[in-house]
Order: sequence, then structure tokens, then C-alpha cells
Amino acid sequence: MNNKTVDVIVTFNKAGKIKPNYIRLEDDDQLMHTYKIYNPRFDHEEKFAGTAALLFSCYIINNGCKQMIKIKYHANTYQWILVD
Amino acid sequence: MERIIFHIDVNSAFLSWEAAYRMHVLGEKQDLRKIASAVGGDIKKRHGIILAKSIPAKKSGVRTGDTIADALKCCPGLVTIPPHYDLYERCSNAFIEILREFSPCVEQYSIDEAYCDMTGTELLFGAPLTAAYKLKDKIRDELGFTVNVGISSNKLLAKMAGDFKKPDLVHTLFPYEIEKKMWPLPVGDLLFVGHSTKHKLYNLGIYTIGDLAKTDLNILRAYFGKIGNVLYSFANGIDVSTVAAEAPPIKGYGNSSVIPFDVDRADVARMILLSLAETVCTRLRADSVIANVVAISIVDFAFHHSSHQLTLFAPTNITNEIHKAACQLLDELWDGRTPIRNLGIHTSKIVPATSVRQLNLFDTNNYEHLLAMDNTIDKIRDRYGRDSVMRAVFINNPIYHMSGGISIDKRKPDYGGGIIE
Repeated sequence: MNNKTVDVIVTFNKAGKIKPNYIRLEDDDQLMHTYKIYNPRFDHEEKFAGTAALLFSCYIINNGCKQMIKIKYHANTYQWILVD
Repeated sequence: MERIIFHIDVNSAFLSWEAAYRMHVLGEKQDLRKIASAVGGDIKKRHGIILAKSIPAKKSGVRTGDTIADALKCCPGLVTIPPHYDLYERCSNAFIEILREFSPCVEQYSIDEAYCDMTGTELLFGAPLTAAYKLKDKIRDELGFTVNVGISSNKLLAKMAGDFKKPDLVHTLFPYEIEKKMWPLPVGDLLFVGHSTKHKLYNLGIYTIGDLAKTDLNILRAYFGKIGNVLYSFANGIDVSTVAAEAPPIKGYGNSSVIPFDVDRADVARMILLSLAETVCTRLRADSVIANVVAISIVDFAFHHSSHQLTLFAPTNITNEIHKAACQLLDELWDGRTPIRNLGIHTSKIVPATSVRQLNLFDTNNYEHLLAMDNTIDKIRDRYGRDSVMRAVFINNPIYHMSGGISIDKRKPDYGGGIIE
């Protein structure tokens, strides 16, 4: 499986909008690092295989470099997925 | 105005849904639809048959209903995956939701098939062919799986059209096309012509749907009785049934279970009946109905099927009562020796649970207490899960306390990583 579930800290505002704030990712040495999420932007909603998911585009700063990432929120399972 | 009916059928439904989920949600790179693959049960639990297969598997000779062992003989490299019914229900619901965006009149025919009455929607979605392509492409793009759409002026012809070449295609079969597109087909392809009817028709020298359409109706009536009329009408493309948006009321509730081992002891058979009664009665109580008739069915080790039924003194949905009736039927039907492979309980003549109970002078059971206990157990199971409370007899027992229906492991298999629900 290429899409990995990840830990994400999120805020929900009064209007029900979702804003991912921090994400925890594993590096190549299997060490966990927490990154701040910058400029999260709601991309679109997917319903593949009847599974509702909200896709967000954002970036993190990894070793001083800006790295674009895409994360998905699965409404059925309440899980966050790092899209490969 | 001529009616426009669509028949929409998901291509290799279970396999397509698995493939779409694994690719789009779990991020797998391999598309199960493009390799020899199949969804199948568990051989150890004697559920080992093929439920759906990919087109490459079909080309290797794998057929739906084959045992997994036979399928592997035809296609040694076959990739088999276990079923995942929660996902299939979710996909089916999403599929029906999209259909309802196109028409208010949708009849769900099965988990992966539906009819849509598209009469009068031309101004919204264009001509029938245009609308069918829009519908088909929307399902593919939004849900990730493909469907076939059959278009005609009645349900029968739409279904026949939907079964033409697959996958991801739209076909029409209007009455003026019957002679060209439907009559040359083998008679076994006609809806409701099963294996036995097909051979009876062969004996009459009827090999194609066209042959059947041109046969004298009196001959068909003489051989098949009332069914002869249906066969004749269908072969000529006549079907007056309408698309029923509302599901008809349920006439019976039943559950059966293939047992992982052969049962040759009465106490074990009674225990299995109890676990089936639990499931059936929970469903009856959930719908606030009671049953007048209880039946049991037995399939023995040699696949011989037998059944027996009785009418209750008073209709009920109390587990103990249904179980008692089922045990009485078992004693009357079974010789106590022939190994049993499959047991089932079915209830019928359903009435609302508000009906008044006829009391028996010699019956000392307190039915109010029994019903109150069952209702309380249902509430506990609803809130804390179906395994939160069970009869002591099932503790440390290989027989699951609520048999029948779709087991939990088939609903939510472990994908070995990614999302585990």
C-alpha cells in the first residue's frame, strides 16, 4: 500500500472548515519528526469507491527546504493519508 | 410519449470496487481489473467460491460460482482476494446516489444493478444516448469504476442491452432493433431462462431467442404452463412492468449458514439453529414485525436440499419461541445421522408487531418478559456491539452466537497496511 496514514493536528472553525496545522512523518531512518503545515489549501473532494475524502495541498519545511505534500482526510475512517 | 428506461450494471462489481478502493484510496499501483484476479471466499470455511472475476481471468476460463480450487486449475496464477462487504455497500450506495441525480425514479435491482426511468429528461441531459454516456462517465470519473448502460423502452430490453459487450459501454435495444440484435442470441441468454428451461427448449428445437419468438404460443403453454406466456412475451421484447422507485414490503426474514464442519449431532444442530434464530429475530424486532410461519432448511453433505415449515399458534419475534419451533421442525425433518452442511431458518406471513397476541390457556410462558429481555439485549448490542452480550452456551464455543448474513471478517478484512477500518 502506498498511501500511508499519518498523524495530523487539525483545527475546525465555526463554519466547519478544516485546517491542518501539524503533521508527523517518519524519515528514512524511521525517526518521527513533527512539521508545521504551511499554506494548506483545500483542493477537491473525492468519492472514489464510495469513500469520501477531502484532498489538501500544502507544504512543510524539511531541512530548510520547502516540500510540497498532499494529504487526504477520509470521512468514513477519520484518518489522514499522505498521498504518494 | 415513449418510455426511456436505462439499465445500469457495474462491470465485475466486487472486483471493480476492490480495484478502485485499492488504487484510489490505498494507493496501490496495480489494477486488479487488468490481471487475472478474482474475489472469492475462504476455502477453510467452505465459502470457497468465486464471487467476481476480472476479464483476463474470465478469458482463462474462470467462471463466477466456480470453487477456488477449480479456478486455480484453469488459471494457476489467479490472484484471489477476500470479500469486503462494507466497501461494497458503500460503493453501491454511492452508485445509486449518482443515478438519483439523473432521475427521481430509480429501482435498485441488486447490489450492482439498477433501472432508471429517464422518460422526459431530454431537456435536462439530452438525448438518451448522450445522457447514458454522461451517466457512465460520471460514475467512472467520480467513483473510479465502470458500468454498462442498456437503453430501451422497457426494463426487459434495457437489461438485455446492458448485458451486451462489456465493459464501460452503452448499448441500445429498442423494439425495432430486436430482430437484428436480440433474436440471433442463444435462447439461454434470455432473462429468466435458466439451465433447466434452456434444455427443455433445446428438446423442442428452439435454440435462439428468435426461434422462441416465432414459436406458437399454444405449444409453449402446453409445455411450460403459465411460464410459456412469459417466455413468449420476453422473446418478443414485451414487458409492461414499471420502474418501482419504492422497495416492495418484505415478505419474509431468513438467514442460513454454511457450517465449517459437517454436523451429525442434534445438540450442535440445535445450537446452530439458536444462533440463526438470534439473527433472524433481531431483524424482525428491528423492523417491528412478527412472523406467523417458521421454516427450516437443511443442505446435507451431498448437497441434497430439504425444508419443512409450521404455522405458529400466535405470531412472534421472540428468539426462544422461534428457536423452539425450529428445533421441533429439525426433529421432524432430520434423521439425526446424515451430516449437515448448511442450516437455515426462514420466517414468513409477516404482520406488524402491534397485532394482539392470542393467549393459550395451557401456556405458562411469560411472553411479555421474554420480549422485554430480547428488546433489552438488542439495545445493548446496538450500543456496545453485537458481541457485547451473548448466551452462555456460546462462550468458548466455535459456533458464532449470531450466525447467518455477512460475517464480520467478510465485512472488514485486514488489508495488511494502509487504511484498516
